[in-house]
Amino acid sequence: MDADRAMKLAKWVKFREEKFGGVLFETRSEKVFALNPTAAAIMREIGAGCDQAALVARLKERFSDRGETLERESLAFTANLKERGLLED
Amino acid sequence: MKTDLLSAAGGGTAEISVNPATTPAATGAGDLAAPLYIAWQVTNECNLACLHCIEESGPGKAFRDELSRPQIFEFLNQAMDQQVPYLSFSGGEPTLHPLFFEMVEYVCARNAQLKIETNGHGLTLEHCLRLKSLGVKAVQVSLDGASRETFNRMRVRGDFDRALEGIRNLGTAGVPIEINYSPTLFNTHEIGRAVDLAYELGAGSFYTGRTMYTGNAVKTWHRLVPTEAQYEAFFEVLHAKSAEYRGRMRVHFHEMGLLEELRYRLHHPAALLIVLPNGLVKLINALPFVCGDLRTQSLEEIWAKFQCAWQDPRVAQFVEDLANDPARTSVLHQWVYL
Repeated sequence: MDADRAMKLAKWVKFREEKFGGVLFETRSEKVFALNPTAAAIMREIGAGCDQAALVARLKERFSDRGETLERESLAFTANLKERGLLED
Repeated sequence: MKTDLLSAAGGGTAEISVNPATTPAATGAGDLAAPLYIAWQVTNECNLACLHCIEESGPGKAFRDELSRPQIFEFLNQAMDQQVPYLSFSGGEPTLHPLFFEMVEYVCARNAQLKIETNGHGLTLEHCLRLKSLGVKAVQVSLDGASRETFNRMRVRGDFDRALEGIRNLGTAGVPIEINYSPTLFNTHEIGRAVDLAYELGAGSFYTGRTMYTGNAVKTWHRLVPTEAQYEAFFEVLHAKSAEYRGRMRVHFHEMGLLEELRYRLHHPAALLIVLPNGLVKLINALPFVCGDLRTQSLEEIWAKFQCAWQDPRVAQFVEDLANDPARTSVLHQWVYL
């Protein structure tokens, strides 16, 4: 994975923040994905144009981290979104 | 002060979660700040008079009180401000609305995704190129048959070749294409060929389900309704076609009967508002209940009402009455205000 390439939502995906976190709406298949608050925070950073490396750095500014947890989990999360076709490099 | 991401999220294991749902409904409409999807029947006017039309649309059938220009743009402005991500324009025939392109332009410019549901008869290449440049998400065309004979029988005043020409113009312009198919006793045998045709025309999605006993179909039901044996064969073909086209074209179909669908919706209301040409907002197309009026209420007020309205005992009662009398769907246009 290229850590310095900015990520963006796939063409047919919309993100909206909600009290519970947020939703991703894939409008081609009309599928909705509910995000918890931390996942929604990551989507905000991605929306601001973050690449993977910058995303981890931004998260570390906001959240305390135990070892490599933040990096590992945010990588797993973005990989999950890419696998589902919701996010692209 | 920094927040611990993991403990803030409530545990020590991976807490960054994305939970898939099958439809906007599964997110729980009650948790959302605004609808995820607005399906707007922009006019009841139509150039065709289809035997099965659930809206009783047709030539000269525009409502007298359809939304005015200021009402239209006030409504769209509210929807965009509330970040409604997805809208569809249908009808009647939406392309006949005098403000059609202006409305499309407004929604697309505000970055929402828009689908147009049309009979395809007005899709000139010029119009398709314009839709492409405005950035519509998709255009869904009704194609209820794989032959001129069945299509023209169902779509009174319609023409199979003209619909095909419209679809081909969409393809030439590069607009994503979707096809919708309504089954009847005289076209179910063509479903396999219709799916193949949709693919040949460049469609990305194909939609079908059971034809509803409402609107024009009430008067023509004896000429329309497929037998259960026909439906069985119809859905069998669709299962096979869905597998055949996997990865190339999505074949969506609802085998569920209306009653099962409505019983499910009572507990899982879709985050979807159905807006009628006059601004009334329905709970769902297959029920007569109205939960708001965009001419006198804000979208925010209506969304709040929508979430309570599903709990109204009259709604559950109507659904259960359908079990004894399926023909009650014939009164869906006699609106009941909640």
